[in-house]
Amino acid sequence: MAAAVIGESRSAPEGGAMSVEQIERGLARLRMNEDGSLGARASVLNLIVVTDEESAPEIAQVVSSLSGHYPCRAIIMISDPDEERSKLDVSLSAFCSLRHGIPGGTGNQICAEQITIHAEGPPAAHLESLAGPLLLPDLPVFLWYPNGRMPRPAESDGMAALADRLILDSGGVDDSEAFMRGVAHLSASGSPEVGDLQWAALSPWRSLVADLFAPPERAGELGKIKRVEVLYRPVGESRVLLFVGWLASALGWRPESAVCGERRGREFKFSGPSGEVTATLSPDSPDARLRRVRILSEECSYQVSRHRELSDVSSTVMRGDELLAERTVQLGSFDSGVLVGEELRYRGRDEVYEASLQMTAEMLDL
Amino acid sequence: MAGSLQTDTQLSADVLLDDSRLPKVPEPGAMVIFGASGDLTARKLIPALYDLATQRRLPMKFAVVGVSRTQMSHDEFRKKLRKTLNEQRAGKVRDSVWESFCGSVFYLPGDTKKAETYQELKDFLKRLDGERGTRGNRAFYLASSPTLFPAVVEKLGEAGMNRGENGGWARLVIEKPFGRDLESAKELNTGIRRYFEETQIYRIDHYLGKETVQNIMALRFSNSVFEPLWSQHYVDHVQITVAEDIGIGTRGAFYEEAGALRDIVQNHLMQVLCLTAMEPPVAFDSEGVREEKVKVLKSVRRIPRDKVGEFAVRGQYTSGWVWGEEVSGYREEKNVAPDSTTDTYVALKLFIDNWRWAGVPFYVRAGKRLPKRVTEIAIQFKRTPHAPFAGAENLEPNILVVRVQPEEGVSLKIGAKVPGSGFRIRSVNMDLLYGTAFLEEVPDAYQRLLLDLMLGDPTLFIRADETESAWDILDPVISSWAESEKVAFYPAGSWGPAESEELVARDGREWRRP
Ligand SMILES: NC(=O)c1ccc[n+]([C@@H]2O[C@H](COP(=O)([O-])OP(=O)(O)OC[C@H]3O[C@@H](n4cnc5c(N)ncnc54)[C@H](OP(=O)(O)O)[C@@H]3O)[C@@H](O)[C@H]2O)c1
Repeated sequence: MAAAVIGESRSAPEGGAMSVEQIERGLARLRMNEDGSLGARASVLNLIVVTDEESAPEIAQVVSSLSGHYPCRAIIMISDPDEERSKLDVSLSAFCSLRHGIPGGTGNQICAEQITIHAEGPPAAHLESLAGPLLLPDLPVFLWYPNGRMPRPAESDGMAALADRLILDSGGVDDSEAFMRGVAHLSASGSPEVGDLQWAALSPWRSLVADLFAPPERAGELGKIKRVEVLYRPVGESRVLLFVGWLASALGWRPESAVCGERRGREFKFSGPSGEVTATLSPDSPDARLRRVRILSEECSYQVSRHRELSDVSSTVMRGDELLAERTVQLGSFDSGVLVGEELRYRGRDEVYEASLQMTAEMLDL
Repeated sequence: MAGSLQTDTQLSADVLLDDSRLPKVPEPGAMVIFGASGDLTARKLIPALYDLATQRRLPMKFAVVGVSRTQMSHDEFRKKLRKTLNEQRAGKVRDSVWESFCGSVFYLPGDTKKAETYQELKDFLKRLDGERGTRGNRAFYLASSPTLFPAVVEKLGEAGMNRGENGGWARLVIEKPFGRDLESAKELNTGIRRYFEETQIYRIDHYLGKETVQNIMALRFSNSVFEPLWSQHYVDHVQITVAEDIGIGTRGAFYEEAGALRDIVQNHLMQVLCLTAMEPPVAFDSEGVREEKVKVLKSVRRIPRDKVGEFAVRGQYTSGWVWGEEVSGYREEKNVAPDSTTDTYVALKLFIDNWRWAGVPFYVRAGKRLPKRVTEIAIQFKRTPHAPFAGAENLEPNILVVRVQPEEGVSLKIGAKVPGSGFRIRSVNMDLLYGTAFLEEVPDAYQRLLLDLMLGDPTLFIRADETESAWDILDPVISSWAESEKVAFYPAGSWGPAESEELVARDGREWRRP
């Protein structure tokens, strides 16, 4: 349990322009304990993050918080290719955690390493030449773009070519529509595998919605859905689009038309297996990115809704005014650390995501 | 109405659920707990179910029905459970979530020896099927005293509850101990099987629910570097240790009846032995895994009744010091006879007579009031056939240790050259704490097992022939000890009696210090 772990952050005094050998030596020195013993390094993956000056401290925080669950070598790249002057600045730190409180425990330390590279000017346009030599061999490479940036497909992008899996965030951009189209294009290219934090955030929602239809007597209702209503906050638009895209692709709805509703809301019409299905997206939630999902069939209404304090979520099934089923569970956290963590668990193409994304792109093209 | 559906509208929820990212959720069902006012229910079962529910791992249509003699209302029962949960996790139980969960928790006062209790229960469960959609599926959890098991099973059977209602399923969960020797285990199994098929029976050994125990299989069968060495060709002997630092606490009366052999060796230790020695299963499923475990137990050489002294040591702790605290001896504990011969320590020398392990001794030991809590498997390899260095007689063998708890990991002792002139070799311990590599919160063993139960996956539960084979191995020891007064004493806080050291010393070996 996390409480049994104490961690210690260590930073190297040196910095500036360093060679690969200097970096490796510096990291080994960081793992050295006061008594001269060397903290073990446990690594299950490489994580490269490409970010900017402004968000770097927050990103570094998230990466440290991940090191317990996903021990890795993290390479944080702060890049500014628009500067004229070339500049390269490296700093090193390690986060070492110790299991303690065990009588007779050996107190072995496990350290995760963090390399921060600040690149300006021409070097910033060739980040792969910096990240490549620092990757730990034999382990998968995850490439995370937190700020709504996106690489080109691997054949024309050195960074994408390094990565086994790409972690994007369609929630971090102003024009989520254009971004989603871009991701759809990238994911269709097949390499690297693509993941989106906004999709990761949908897992609990998708499982809650699926649970509503799990009892065999309700499964038949899935074919009779007439309306879907989603309440969200404008920044949650891509998450909501993906949600509707998921329902449509899983349930075999064909997108027919789209109208922009009032106050930036949207309405999509699909042809479903038993007639027209309307999905209404209303950006009126004051707080949560995704606040409420309501699904209406001829007879019943199904709802998953967050509580005001947001940490809990209630599911209900109603027939007219009659409450057929209800329950409240914890929704879990949507911190970026948690979402990135969820993405780090997955390897391989996520076919359900890809199908939902392609459907979303079709919906946007209407 | 179903008949009028067109085929293309017949979707099942699987179209939404068929996704590796989404958890597998069991079918609707009810769990009945016999012994609901007891310790296990409040401390283990309900917290595990609550956690599963809040993590969305249980179906929406789920109900728990507690049964025991104490008179309580549904609400009193819920309050009692909430109190224990609050004690376990101060301030972490959310009102709204608890309210939603406990709405599906019910209590039915009744004596499980009486037939009318089952009629009432049956009616109540039918009502739940209607009101809460539990669909005739029931899991019966026997969490009361083992002496009641046969009666409960029989009454369930007579009431027709050994089959689920309306085509639903019925499963039976049995807590250890599974009998107290081979005969009583057989009797118990036969009694149960008069009403329940083996596929309906889930015998719980919570050791198998531990991530770290399952990891023994992951380590062996997902790494090609260990497996080729894992046989009599390279292994000199194996030591398995299940050590506890605690004593018997307030459970004197229980322990006097049980002892370490029944309490730990018959179940936990035999399971670890199986996982260590078994052949790779064809598939990680209930038949694949359990079949291989039974094969191990069947090939353990039976100890001749008149030679028990050569293969087994019974120990008992006297007063001593454990982790800076002076503790009393076993015979001074509450509810323990002053001349008790109960085993608080057991050491056995076993052989597995099969192709892989012929001639390799397995020294196993379990005990209370040892210096620390540790479960580990140590594989000691044979010496190199020839070492070209001076002083090679003293070269130590390689040892691979798989530590199950507390700090899960593997360590390998290898010889390395001491820097400098000459060619002196010294042993170095290489630690791989793969457990600490993931600081994931490990799910509690009961959580895992209860979920598997609801999902209908018995892989991590014990099959009848496993319990019987395990008893069969231990029966000569049990009966020989029953007729003798001989107990080897060891001070609390030591690694066991001198007789245990002799057991391995006779073979020119020694116990490791874990
Ligand atoms: N506690 C643990 O951590 C643990 C661990 C592993 C295995 N186990 C096993 O789990 C089982 C239960 O252990 P426990 O510690 O929970 O025992 P416990 O606290 O003594 O509980 C026994 C329960 O059985 C009920 N009971 C006794 N006679 C009854 C009858 N005739 N009709 C209906 N209910 C009856 C008692 O309630 P009333 O008096 O109200 O009827 C009580 O709720 C035992 O087999 C034990 O070996 C326990």
